[in-house]
Amino acid sequence: MSLSSFDLLLSAIAITAIMMLGTTNIGTNLRLYALHSLLIAAATAWLGQTRHEPALFLVAAIFALVKAGFVPWFLNSIIRQVGGHSDSGAFIPTALSMPVGIALLGANNVLAQRLPTVINGDGGNIGETFALSLITTGMLLMLTRNIAVNQVIGFLVIENGIYLFSQTQTQGMPMALEMGILLDLLVAVMIAGILLFRIKKNFEHIDISKLTELKD
Amino acid sequence: MNNTSWLAYIALTAAIVVVPPLLIGFIRKTKARLQNRVGAPYHQPLLDLIKLLSKGELVSEHASWVLRGAAIANVSIALLLAVTSPWIPGMPRPFDVDIFLFIYLFALMRFFSVLSALDTASPFGGFAAGRDLTLAVLVEPAVMLCLTALAVVAQTANLSEIFSFTGKALSVQAGLWVMAGCGLYLSSLVELSRMPADDPTTHLELTMVHEAMILENSGPNLALTEYATALKLLVLMGVSGQCFLHAFAAVWQTSPSMQTACGAGAVLLAVAVTALIEATGVKLRWTKLPEFIAYAITFGLLCLVVALGVVK
Repeated sequence: MSLSSFDLLLSAIAITAIMMLGTTNIGTNLRLYALHSLLIAAATAWLGQTRHEPALFLVAAIFALVKAGFVPWFLNSIIRQVGGHSDSGAFIPTALSMPVGIALLGANNVLAQRLPTVINGDGGNIGETFALSLITTGMLLMLTRNIAVNQVIGFLVIENGIYLFSQTQTQGMPMALEMGILLDLLVAVMIAGILLFRIKKNFEHIDISKLTELKD
Repeated sequence: MNNTSWLAYIALTAAIVVVPPLLIGFIRKTKARLQNRVGAPYHQPLLDLIKLLSKGELVSEHASWVLRGAAIANVSIALLLAVTSPWIPGMPRPFDVDIFLFIYLFALMRFFSVLSALDTASPFGGFAAGRDLTLAVLVEPAVMLCLTALAVVAQTANLSEIFSFTGKALSVQAGLWVMAGCGLYLSSLVELSRMPADDPTTHLELTMVHEAMILENSGPNLALTEYATALKLLVLMGVSGQCFLHAFAAVWQTSPSMQTACGAGAVLLAVAVTALIEATGVKLRWTKLPEFIAYAITFGLLCLVVALGVVK
């Protein structure tokens, strides 16, 4: 078995997600997320090329604009306004959570062998493995981080995983659906931003490890 | 032995003597240029070594023969590594080296450095030895995993064979090579006491690791120690540079002389990246270092996952 160029691109996507587990610095995390989304946009464009679907180029362009441009910028500006929690903690030490991410990648590979592949050609089992690994990596990010912004980033990684899964395992979704999901995501990120402001206003911090007692 | 192989051996010997100090000079020059300084000429470390060799030395009265013996042992091991390990494609091989021998020759060098640091009974040597060994424990799994993954795919533990451009199983694994290259490069930064782990220019007791270990050396002894470090730089940067080279399918189809030229370019590029990191980055806080090394281990584990997938 050897990985094709497209599989290598997919593995780079999964690796950037695992790298996100390795740092608690939110600025670095957002930069990695931008790179990660850019790679997914590249993979979408690649699929558009191999499947001769020009619509996918448009999807890739909007995807890159929204997820690699707007979302990281928006979250970064929120972080700057809410207060510089540049170095937040984690429930699992970051040095340990990366190997956990890789173990999950291996488990996902076993799982992907059992799942039926819908289409042949690009993607297939390897695509399933990496897409599922994004979902588990995002869950790990959401579960183990102290600062509330990381929960948003984890959610976005999960969302990217679902998107990648749908792209590699089906012949592609209708364009309107893709745009709708992107719009949903945009709204979700904005609502999360407003929520962060509210949490900050009520509790004077956004550290979820301290959100253990109820307050009026 | 025919004529060309004699020439190759002479070229290798000349390269091993001259190139390592020049690489150190290259790092310093690049760093200086990036910081808007003129910097010392490229051959300055070579001149420094010659000057140190002709100087007298001052040895602590508590030191024993171990201080001198460890420096000599380190240079011998470093020379052995430079002659046998494949830091540039197409170099002559007097005999082959195993991946485990490769890893443990480095560990042996570390053992002798620690021994010489403890021998003088200075507190600096003591704490630096402790720090150095802490880093060694953390970084060894990364090197081990990367090289073992390559060996498993190549079906041989012979390091020269793995890096020989002839193995069919490895030549298609571009992803594996890149991951192994990243892992080996990050761990060589730690192994060589380079920037994110240790600042080679600092002499502040809070931050020194490698510098504090060689603090008690002077004169010819210091020259030997620095030369051994420079040789280590050549070998480790060479090996991790070769990994990236192997990822390009075009390289292993060209002529051997072209491969050697590309290999030299890869070594220079790896060293230049090191200089870039040193000029732009900062030394990490000691408690943050395990997180940095975790990246190297992550690449090692990824190599292992790929290797397991390939072999199955």
